[in-house]
Amino acid sequence: MRFDALRVLWQTIRQDRLALFGVVVLCCLIVIALFAPLVATHDPTAMNHRVEGTVFWYRDGEWLIQESVGEWTLNAVAFFDEENAIAVGNHGEVLQYSAGSWEREEVPTTAQLHGVAFREDLVVVVGEKGTILEKRAGAWVKVHAPVDADLFAVSLAPGSRKALVAGAGGTVLRRRNDIWEKLETGAAEDLLAVSLPAEETGFIVGRRNVILHYDGENLHRQMVMGFRDLYDVHAPAENQALAVGERGTILYFTGNSWSTMYGPEARDLRGVRLTGEDTAVAVGSHGVILRLQDGQWTREDTGYRRHLRGMDAYEGMLIASGTDPYVNSLARPSQEHWFGTTHLGRDIYSQVVYGSRAALLVGFLAAIMVAVIGTNVGLFAGYFKGRVDGLLMRVVDIMYALPLEPFAMILVLLTRPGLAIIIFAVGLLTWRTTARIIRSQVLSLAARPFVKAAKVAGASDLRILYIHIAPNILPLAFLQLAVSVAFAITAEATLSFLGLGPPRIYSWGTILHEARLSGAWRTAWWWIIPPGVLIMITVVSVFFISRALEVLTNPRLGKR
Amino acid sequence: MGMRGYILGRAVQILLTLWVILTLLFFLFRLGLPDPTLALISEGLSPEDRMLVAERFGLGRPLWQQYFIYLRNVMSGELGTSFHYKAPVAGIVGEKFLNTMVLMLPAILVAYGIGQLLGVLLAWKRGTRLEFTGGSLGLIFRSAPMFWTGMLFIMVFGISLGWFPTSGMRTLPYEATGFLDKIFTLDFLRHLFLPMLVIALYYAGLPMLIMRNTMLEVMGEDFIEFCKARGLSMRRIMYRHAARNALLPIVTQAAITVGLAVGGQVVVEVVFSWPGLGLEMLQAVRTSDYPLAQASFMLMAVMILILNFATDLVYGKLDPRVVYS
Repeated sequence: MRFDALRVLWQTIRQDRLALFGVVVLCCLIVIALFAPLVATHDPTAMNHRVEGTVFWYRDGEWLIQESVGEWTLNAVAFFDEENAIAVGNHGEVLQYSAGSWEREEVPTTAQLHGVAFREDLVVVVGEKGTILEKRAGAWVKVHAPVDADLFAVSLAPGSRKALVAGAGGTVLRRRNDIWEKLETGAAEDLLAVSLPAEETGFIVGRRNVILHYDGENLHRQMVMGFRDLYDVHAPAENQALAVGERGTILYFTGNSWSTMYGPEARDLRGVRLTGEDTAVAVGSHGVILRLQDGQWTREDTGYRRHLRGMDAYEGMLIASGTDPYVNSLARPSQEHWFGTTHLGRDIYSQVVYGSRAALLVGFLAAIMVAVIGTNVGLFAGYFKGRVDGLLMRVVDIMYALPLEPFAMILVLLTRPGLAIIIFAVGLLTWRTTARIIRSQVLSLAARPFVKAAKVAGASDLRILYIHIAPNILPLAFLQLAVSVAFAITAEATLSFLGLGPPRIYSWGTILHEARLSGAWRTAWWWIIPPGVLIMITVVSVFFISRALEVLTNPRLGKR
Repeated sequence: MGMRGYILGRAVQILLTLWVILTLLFFLFRLGLPDPTLALISEGLSPEDRMLVAERFGLGRPLWQQYFIYLRNVMSGELGTSFHYKAPVAGIVGEKFLNTMVLMLPAILVAYGIGQLLGVLLAWKRGTRLEFTGGSLGLIFRSAPMFWTGMLFIMVFGISLGWFPTSGMRTLPYEATGFLDKIFTLDFLRHLFLPMLVIALYYAGLPMLIMRNTMLEVMGEDFIEFCKARGLSMRRIMYRHAARNALLPIVTQAAITVGLAVGGQVVVEVVFSWPGLGLEMLQAVRTSDYPLAQASFMLMAVMILILNFATDLVYGKLDPRVVYS
């Protein structure tokens, strides 16, 4: 008997194309829910950080951001002329700008690259663990360095192939006659920046206010007050230099001594360039950009808040590069995040995948609860009639008079938010319809001859109910089950949307709840469309199945 | 038993059911919700003052005394004072109820009007592509949760295109001397349009499918053949003769829908910040405002019970075969 019912069920569904579609979709969803950790690409609760190479141009009087020119943080950038520039970054990233676009250069290293200098016939790049790359005659060569300390900066003297490199632990390397040699510095601090205005003069700065002067042969330590780290120096001439560093430090050199300048910024400054006789620009953490004009530093707000790590200038043009890892919040759909990210940088695709678990769990458990309660109440009320019927139908009336959302909220306040409470609330309040429908069917069945025959044969009431009557209402019960599944899934989404769902477990409703709370949903379409579409697909699949079952209970609908 | 006896019996039943519901809710609120004196009273109030407030709202007495006082008050039509608004509950619930109704009734009207006509069409065009698409579309609209369609509509029509306001009933600030003054304005209609559309789209699927199914049954009956034999046009047969006989289930469903509509579509009210009864119910439960919560739940229960009753009566008028017993 039971198997017959299932077979009839399957055959009905198989004949209906839409119902078949519904079954396939539901099966897919069940598989996704079961294997959610494999299907999801990210942890749904993890904040996703992101690293990318960004360059910031200043051209024709305005700043222009070019995001994602590369996949790695760009630590330094150097101009050759207005059409050519090179940026270097972590993981052996070397990007060359020419003819309006950035192209990745193949270089023989994956080390972190910290400094770059660019001349027509020579490009020098330095990086961690003594990495030195040179580009000569169009080819990149890895040069053997006499040290294996991290190298942080390089500067080429104008119109020459002479270069100085600054590195960790007081390292300074000099390139002369195409040969790299180590210079004695007497300093033990990390040296972070170097600037050569001419072959025989230059400045090197580093941690704890170290400033070294280069006279063409040797290095001399210059006395400066303070202990702040200096991150960059720029000397366009022998008697003019500007250095910047930790917490907004700015130092100015006027031929014989260094003096402190006061800027408007307390954040770290990472790069500085003099752009004229008494104009300069400095960049730093959190997108800080400072401009010196008429002896005054002023802040320029571009709205950009990520870290800028290096800069260079060329005849009124500026270029700055970044950035550090940042929270990838409210990102549009991309290859990395298929459905984009939330305001906390969480992957929406993974949330939606995990959300299928709550939807199906609540959908099926609550529906089974509804079907079991509703069918039994209907059976008893319809069979015993009289007082039992009256009492049970009054209970049904009570259930009809309780609104779901506020009632569920009472239940949640009574205990605490959780899937169990939602299942309970939906199950408790929605068996009413099933009970009514089953009851009316049982009422007519109970009057049929086969029931009377069973009674005469001495069958007990329970036996008649469950052995003789129940199989006849099975199709109707299945139909009601399907309808309840659809209702329960929607109800779960609704209650979760109102914030009654369990915290830290994602369901489609919870995702929409978060989107609404964040306020970002008004523009972040990628955040609200996927969960809603999934609710819709799931519910409509169940509807399609239930419509096929309807034909089973009411054959007239199936006739064509 | 005659009609009179039937009505009397049902009335007693309704009162009994209502009493059970009120009792259930009374104790559920008292046992389930956090102490209202905590939610109600601003911080920094001394324990003595709290006692005073508790005394004023009758929260200091034993539970069973509170219960009987409550029952007595309800029977004399006294619904109490809202903890939150510090004003009589009846006025607040009345206003919110009207707010909900001006949203729900047009929505239901639109949904059932359109749904019925489409349902007839679907039954008429049985087995065609039109029926397939129409039926599927109805199901699809019914399967999209209302709060989601609401969010989408706000995003598209409210924010991107800027055609409609996205929250509330009127643009603030506004001056209105009465309820009618408030709603008979263009501004109100503009506010009404989006939430009404969302609800109507969701509701339209059900009458459409019900109408289609009953129409299919009716169309198998003899009098349709007779109409055809008389040479009436198909349109006339469908919309005049068959549809009239297929109205019964729709009427039932409409009554149930109106009854449930009293509580409003809570989520739609939340999404569109519509100051209706549903939103108020949630708020009242959240702030442990017992009198307000009890009154709104009661209003809803009364409406549903009475409308169910009315449906049964109307059923008899529409279908002479129904016998009251």
